[in-house]
Amino acid sequence: MTLKAKQIIIAILGGAFLLSLIFVQIMEVIRKGQESGRLAPHIAVPENSKDCVSCHRDLSPGIIDHWAGSTHARKGVGCVECHQAERGDADGFDHYGTHIATVVTPRDCSRCHPQVADEFARSHHAAAGNILHSLDNFLAETVEGARTPFNPHSPTPGMAVGQVNGMASAFVGCHQCHGSRVALQATDGGQITVKDLEPGEDGKPTNLEAVDRIQKDKDERPLYHPGTWPNTGIGRLNLDGSKGSCSACHSRHDFSPRRARQPENCGKCHLGPDHPQKEIYEESKHGVAYRDLRDHMNLNAESWILGQDYSQAPTCATCHMSGHTRNDGRITHDPGQRISWTNRPPVSALMDTDIHHKVVKETDPAKRRELISDTWEAKRNRMKQVCLHCHTSDYVSGFYKQYDDFVILYNEKFAKPGQKIMASLRDKGLITKTQFDEEIEWTWFYLWHHEGRRARHGASMMAPDYAHWHGMYEVAERFYQGLIPQAREIAEHAASEGKKEQAVAVNKVIDDILARPEHAWIHGK
Amino acid sequence: MSGENGSDSPQGRRAFLWSASTVAMAGGLAGSYGTFAVMAGRFLYPSATGGKAWQFVAEAHRINPGEAMMYQAPDGSLVTITRQGNEAEAKDFLALSSVCPHLGCRVHWESHNKRFFCPCHNGVFDPGGSPVSGPPADAGQSLPQYPLKIERGLLFIEVALGDIDNRRA
Amino acid sequence: MASISQWFQERIPISGDQLRELTNEPVPNHLKHWWFCLGGTPAYLFVVQIVTGILLAFYYEASPRTAYESVRYISEQASYGWYIRSLHKWAATLMVAAVILHQMRVYFTGGYRKPRELNWMVGMCLLICTLTVAFTGYSLVYEQLSYWGATVGANIADGVPFLGGFFKRMLLAGDAYNEHTLSRFFILHAAVLPVTMIFLLAIHITLIRLQGITELHFEDEPQEGPKHFNFFPDHLYTELIIGLALMVILSALALALPADLGPRADPLTTPEVIKPEWFFYVVFCWLKLFSGTFAILSTGLIVFVMFLWPFIDAWIRRHTKAREASVWIGIFAVLAIIGLTVWEAAVSH
Repeated sequence: MTLKAKQIIIAILGGAFLLSLIFVQIMEVIRKGQESGRLAPHIAVPENSKDCVSCHRDLSPGIIDHWAGSTHARKGVGCVECHQAERGDADGFDHYGTHIATVVTPRDCSRCHPQVADEFARSHHAAAGNILHSLDNFLAETVEGARTPFNPHSPTPGMAVGQVNGMASAFVGCHQCHGSRVALQATDGGQITVKDLEPGEDGKPTNLEAVDRIQKDKDERPLYHPGTWPNTGIGRLNLDGSKGSCSACHSRHDFSPRRARQPENCGKCHLGPDHPQKEIYEESKHGVAYRDLRDHMNLNAESWILGQDYSQAPTCATCHMSGHTRNDGRITHDPGQRISWTNRPPVSALMDTDIHHKVVKETDPAKRRELISDTWEAKRNRMKQVCLHCHTSDYVSGFYKQYDDFVILYNEKFAKPGQKIMASLRDKGLITKTQFDEEIEWTWFYLWHHEGRRARHGASMMAPDYAHWHGMYEVAERFYQGLIPQAREIAEHAASEGKKEQAVAVNKVIDDILARPEHAWIHGK
Repeated sequence: MSGENGSDSPQGRRAFLWSASTVAMAGGLAGSYGTFAVMAGRFLYPSATGGKAWQFVAEAHRINPGEAMMYQAPDGSLVTITRQGNEAEAKDFLALSSVCPHLGCRVHWESHNKRFFCPCHNGVFDPGGSPVSGPPADAGQSLPQYPLKIERGLLFIEVALGDIDNRRA
Repeated sequence: MASISQWFQERIPISGDQLRELTNEPVPNHLKHWWFCLGGTPAYLFVVQIVTGILLAFYYEASPRTAYESVRYISEQASYGWYIRSLHKWAATLMVAAVILHQMRVYFTGGYRKPRELNWMVGMCLLICTLTVAFTGYSLVYEQLSYWGATVGANIADGVPFLGGFFKRMLLAGDAYNEHTLSRFFILHAAVLPVTMIFLLAIHITLIRLQGITELHFEDEPQEGPKHFNFFPDHLYTELIIGLALMVILSALALALPADLGPRADPLTTPEVIKPEWFFYVVFCWLKLFSGTFAILSTGLIVFVMFLWPFIDAWIRRHTKAREASVWIGIFAVLAIIGLTVWEAAVSH
């Protein structure tokens, strides 16, 4: 081969090599493009959280990934900012060089979100933990379970079952929505809760004797009582005295406002036979419109103001919490601010609240006026401001008249009479003090707690089927085919046992009720 | 073959005529290996760090007037944040880099002397970051400042974010 | 021009003519046949490895905690990192292949015979070094196969009688893979072995230069005419062609089959299938066929025979009539190597 030929071959091969490098450059450009596209908004791990991330990225990579997609990450709020604990906190412990606590409470969130925490703290959501003293509680802890552990019936093949935890239904059911009373394990086998710790204004326990009894593991980490944690109930009673859990609606660790705007989020708890708000919403026209148009509703937007960023349909958040063009886009974390009737109790009451945001029960008008700080009318007006974005004023007023009429019908025809009957049975000693041991107690419970609530909620959110067939129809059936006959039977039974006077008194109550014109039909008149 | 270009004869070596094929060869070699060398250079050259963003520092009320707080930026640099005024506005706060503009040593705040002091060449800065004495004063170099803002009572600083995706690093 | 060369000659007392004389090796004509360039090929690839290896070493971190992430950084974030890593990986494969082919060429052309026995042994040392540098290189990625391959390899070394334990502990910096192992592999791969190989290469090339190249005569050569051709520029051009051709092939391989990243090493979980790199398949298969000490000793014996082959071949030729015994033995050995390699590649376990 001549030299010249060789030179030409070198030139050609040089060109081929160069061509391959051009391909390399193309690949590189594509790769860079994919990298920058794949990466979410540019975030950096704050310095003090770098150790947390480098370990937990292997241990629990989902947590790091969720957080990395959050607004917190974009603004440089990392692990330590939320989980940091102070010396003296009951649940604080040293974790690889930082003093932290596992449970983040509204008190922690309030450091940066004080107004929201404040509104939430006085809302009924934060008070959801009050269920712990209610009838529902009795049902879960005693009727469905047992307040103290008991021995199993027979062995379970494959698992060594010691004692049966009778609180399991409460822990897994009621408390997961309403919130548990968070407890640490005590060295004597018991529990230590906020009641034992008696925290001060700063959230730190004042009862140091209780602190001494906290059971810790070999790394000095306080142990949570497994029945009470994990728990993200919205009314959780935290060890630092604060109430609630922000993660209930704003799931951790991405704390997405977008998720909180969607009805499915509220629907985790606001559903079911006793308060089917989710199902009611889905039946209503509001829900139909939402299902159709949710992709156009800007759910991802920073600001989500009705009338400005979206207007296709309201979600739960829209009416009950979100900002709109008529209130300068101000969000409230106290849904109670826009609610005029409370349909929770057996007999609905109007939401005249005092300075402590509690419903005023005083009946004397003069005294009421003294106590009331925010009237039900003011609350209703706030709600109307939302409605008026899509509905005219007559429409809105007409709706509220329909709603008021319905609630009052329920109150007057069934609720108050039912209450009176049950009261008389109790007062005359014809039913035991123990709840739910007699059929009529279940009947009454169904009437007001399940069917009565369904009816009222259905009316409040324009779901005709829930108002009527799932609602008032079943209330009526329960009343006429259940409560009245069962009360009569108890009276008859009492009479046959010699309690004639009590039987007569109860029967009189029933007769007086049924003599009223609204019940006249039952006598065939 | 050996005498074709005259490259073997003494005269040929001195008066080396670059024929077309030689040029082509040189071009091919230089172009290809040269491009590779450029790529290797780009490989070695440190990539541009991520852009800047506003990052959370602390709740504004955590720093009292007259106090200083150390903040470590995501790329590792230390920032001294002091508060002069009583109002909770951004202009009452000052974020100064702790990197001396002279030769890059780390300055520290001396609260008893109310000054920033650089141990390397005794550079001194006043609380506002202006140079007082030492080499920085001679060159008129102040401590670099970072932008600050207050939102809903929370203090934010604008800093470089460092490496892309350093949660993996 | 002349004054510059005079300036240098006053300080470096060597004349241009002496230099040309030294370096312009007359290259026998038969080297125009391509298969005689199989020595230059691994040498060129060695240079590629050194260049790409140095580039990679700017970002690679030889610590178990960060090694994998640093390789990921190179592959996913550094500019052209994936390309340089892929070049390094494919050049390693091609270099081992080229070394083996070169050795076969030398073997089948009898280039190991007197007076070149020593150079053959230097070449064998280079072969062992090449295989070791490839083995240590792969262990640096800290993938599952890196970790377990290193563990298994060290345990095989352990099987050598008397010295086995010593080798294993020197290799692993302990009795099992620990936090010092990876940096040890790195220094072997990036410093000790390359320097040794450069040193051996220098001896290898010097010996060739001193002894000259045997002149072979091929039928297609004209009887008259020069029997040699020049190193500069003829043979150099040939080498440049080979170099460029290799770069094109390497780039194509890097584009089509870039270096991948398997799962990160998990000391607690051994993967279902552990296999070494392809060039170790023959040894791996052999060790699986025979167990325990016999396997290791027989492997050692074979390597030993390979080392001393020039002398064994000389003995055979002296004491038997078989002049071409080496060729038949060689064909058998090549077929066996190919057979065992393919077999190992085919089976999954």
